[in-house]
Amino acid sequence: MYAGKRNRWVGLLFLAPALLFVLVFVAYPFGQMVWVSFNSWTLITPPRYVGLDNFGRAFADEQFWDSLAYTIKYTVLITPILMVGGYLVALLVAPNTPLRRFTRAVVFIPVVIGLGASSFLWYWLFSANYGLVNRLLIDLGLVERPILWLGTNADLSTWAIIVSVVWKVLGFGMILFVAAIQAIPSEVNEAAVVDGASPWQRVARITLPLTMRTVLLVTLISVIGSLLAFDQFYIMTAGQPFNQTATSVFWIYQNSFPFLKLGYGAALSLILAGIILLFTVVQMALTRRSAS
Amino acid sequence: MSVESVGTAAPVGRVGHALAIAWSGRQRYLTGAICIALCTVILSPIVASVLASVKSAEEAAAIPPTYFPGSLSLDSYEKLWTYQSGLPTYLANSFGAAFLTIGIVLLLTIPAGFALARFPVPGKEALFVFLLLSLIIPYQALLTPIFLMFAQLKLTNSILGLAIIHSAIQFPFSLYVMRNSFESVPRELDEAAVIDGAGHFQVLVRIFIPSVVPAIITVALFAFVTSWNEFLGALVMMNKDSSFTLPLILAAARTRTSLGGTDWGLLQAGVTISILPCILIYLLLQRYYVSGLLRGAVK
Amino acid sequence: MRSQLRLPALAIVAVLVMTACTGASQSPGAAQPSSPSATGAQPSASGPAASAASGPLEMWERSGGNAPMVDALVAAWNEANPDRSINLTYIEHSEMVPKLAQAIASGEVPDLMGLDLIYGPQFSSAGQLEDITDLIGSDPLLETASPGHIQVATWEDRLYGVPLYADVSVLFWNKGLYKQAGLDPEKPPTNLQEIHDHAKAISALGEGNYGYYLPGNCAGCNIFTFGPLIWASGGKIEPADCDDEPLVGANIPAVLEWARMMHKEGLIDPAAQAETGATFAEVFGSGKAGIMGTGNFNVVLAKDQNPDIDLGVTLLPGLDSGNVASFAGGDIVTVPKGSKRLADAVDFMRFILSDEVQVETYAKLGNMTTRSDMADNKYANEDEDVAATAQAIPVSQTPFTLKFFELINSPQGPWLQMLQKVYYGDEPIDQIIASTKEAMTAIACE
Repeated sequence: MYAGKRNRWVGLLFLAPALLFVLVFVAYPFGQMVWVSFNSWTLITPPRYVGLDNFGRAFADEQFWDSLAYTIKYTVLITPILMVGGYLVALLVAPNTPLRRFTRAVVFIPVVIGLGASSFLWYWLFSANYGLVNRLLIDLGLVERPILWLGTNADLSTWAIIVSVVWKVLGFGMILFVAAIQAIPSEVNEAAVVDGASPWQRVARITLPLTMRTVLLVTLISVIGSLLAFDQFYIMTAGQPFNQTATSVFWIYQNSFPFLKLGYGAALSLILAGIILLFTVVQMALTRRSAS
Repeated sequence: MSVESVGTAAPVGRVGHALAIAWSGRQRYLTGAICIALCTVILSPIVASVLASVKSAEEAAAIPPTYFPGSLSLDSYEKLWTYQSGLPTYLANSFGAAFLTIGIVLLLTIPAGFALARFPVPGKEALFVFLLLSLIIPYQALLTPIFLMFAQLKLTNSILGLAIIHSAIQFPFSLYVMRNSFESVPRELDEAAVIDGAGHFQVLVRIFIPSVVPAIITVALFAFVTSWNEFLGALVMMNKDSSFTLPLILAAARTRTSLGGTDWGLLQAGVTISILPCILIYLLLQRYYVSGLLRGAVK
Repeated sequence: MRSQLRLPALAIVAVLVMTACTGASQSPGAAQPSSPSATGAQPSASGPAASAASGPLEMWERSGGNAPMVDALVAAWNEANPDRSINLTYIEHSEMVPKLAQAIASGEVPDLMGLDLIYGPQFSSAGQLEDITDLIGSDPLLETASPGHIQVATWEDRLYGVPLYADVSVLFWNKGLYKQAGLDPEKPPTNLQEIHDHAKAISALGEGNYGYYLPGNCAGCNIFTFGPLIWASGGKIEPADCDDEPLVGANIPAVLEWARMMHKEGLIDPAAQAETGATFAEVFGSGKAGIMGTGNFNVVLAKDQNPDIDLGVTLLPGLDSGNVASFAGGDIVTVPKGSKRLADAVDFMRFILSDEVQVETYAKLGNMTTRSDMADNKYANEDEDVAATAQAIPVSQTPFTLKFFELINSPQGPWLQMLQKVYYGDEPIDQIIASTKEAMTAIACE
């Protein structure tokens, strides 16, 4: 019914709005960006062709590599927390009792509010003098004077941001893991119970392997998101102190906007996109292998 | 391993029952307590923010901060209401951009999902990957070329321009969900319609769209949330205060008091207004939100 | 059969048409039915010689400045000129540079732009501002306008802006805390050593009281309130250009040693290390700081914050008594290149410099007048502390450099890095000065 030559064109027609949209508003600016990356341009002066200079500069740019290292460090820190934490919570709330369903709904709430709003919220909570985190820590007697969370110490800033992002996106992984866990046929679990397996053994031997595909998918999404992280860093630390919490995209933003080094910013974007593409391909290959 | 089963009652009931037996006994109290603790921890920041937004102006700026407001006051909301062009204007901009985004995304992904799920489009998979490619491009760098393009199209300072950018950001995920959803519609349904003499477009409207309503709602929800909260695009595109969206006001609150101080009360009021619609929509449409996401993503 | 194709094709056409047509429906809320200042139009060949027209004007002002002051000025203008009302937009100060560049590149520039005065040279030298010399340069109103503002608004003998509002930095002392500490509340410190000694007595009071305050993470606050301490000790900080040597002055090491000592002896609140400027203006009003460098705006602010506060205003001193200095800051208002309402913009400038506005808008709000001949007015004379701040004007200066942001104001710049090493580190002062000089020269010569 859908076969036949004419239907090829009908299909294309239905696909046309999306194709046109992406061509005009994504591919064309992307093409421009590629062209800009071979130029030096500050918007006020006309673009000046510089060939591969921008890319060369990127390799010599300490801050670019520092930012990349920092972004990877952030990703490596936050991904296990999100995956393990999300999975544990999923195991907790997978049964369909009213309390568990309620918990599921609650943990998912931060996912639906925006990353921007969430970052402003935690910017307040972690404020040295005005925030409730320090107030709580001092009241509990855990610290004597306010901790300077954001902007003064790179490690403290990083952990504060990680806390805020974990709070925000834990529910996303949880929901996907819950679906995967609930999709496991109950006979498999019941058989294991009969065989005398402990709950944790069942998780390790049955639940985890049977949900591995979802775990890898969620990890992939999470890692890409972390590598492209920007909003929370712009809002909570603005890269402070001294660009030590400047992620790759933040550095790209700095060059493209405040510094008006459009060509250089474009080159950095391409390099970053290339790195992420590479990683995605590798991860997808791993996923396909383990699914079998 | 069909994901369909997650959305329907019978198999889940069995799984849930089995799991409940498995974790029974004393553990039930422990896990129950953990659930409650978890809920408290997750909800506290939001509750704290809402409470902070109803503090009086002096209390909002107090050191050290108070947990609960000493007295309730609408100071911060009044300030937010009358800030520059006024909250109603900013809300109108934010809602306008969000609904336009929903419209554009659905207009694009519904036919596209249909095409990819059913039709022998030449180079289908390659086109699909092409359409998803924007996922890995940091869109921050695309904003300047887009700004210059929009300046010529007279789309700067307009919510349609902003909606286009938001749609571009949201498009790959939405297409993925929509395509998956279209593919899981049983072929018998549309085949039956064709036998009855329906044309392709009628099949789309009469058969598919009703079948993928959960996915549509999911896509609409995510499109709304993305657009409602998007910050950098609005920062670049909007140069007139009357075009600002809510996230820009949050940023402005940070340097709002005389000489660059943070107006914490204003910030909290803004945060509360920002998150309220999102939470409300989620609570009302929870069923569709989660099941549509699962249907689309876990396959 | 054909009907199947018609509808989707129609949909595509509709989208394209919608996209092209939306230019007509501008942003909501800005009713501009027949605005002559149509945005996006090609710059007219007749240039900025257009006479005053009617229709709204667009004005940008950087965020983080004296917003109430600017609001008041715009409101006063709008009341007097309803047919030429100003739409004011606050732009995130870190976005001013790229936004103006985008505006110029796309042809949609605002008609007026207020910016931190120290960026005057940067923008005018880059050709991003309209030359207003012929329109207002010889106006008698400018004769007594703040010289610091006029200087940074001038480039190669051409004028590009006028003062929007003025701040000066001064030294506050808390008379209440002085009494408590057994110090004479009418004898403020007149040199750095006295600041130290008085601060010590106040810090000894405990209970969260600290004798002095230096913000640890705010470059701008420091150039405003710590810079003058260096100036008053005979030092110069920033290089004017590539050939100028930065950080010149025999007493600079001593001043930096003093700052480090103030921290080491615990005379400054440790929480100051995190101060990014967001809460800087509220520190003195909290009543916990004994002595502090701050701006004239803080007189009214502190008294609003804390009506019982008993404060005194004096000038920022150097190493030796009798030497004082101050930072003349604030904003200038300019006209971005390509504005089609040049004449109206200049009218606004005349408006804010007029006698009436100087007194009834600036002074009434407790702010300084931007013309020195208007400083003696009924409102200023009501509050002796406000009047005292005017004494800083004759000894105030404004740095003039093309790279102020990269050198001084940037959170990643050498000025803040130097101060953080001095305040919180142990690296020898000479080394710090040497590496800062190197960094500043590198930036100035980029």
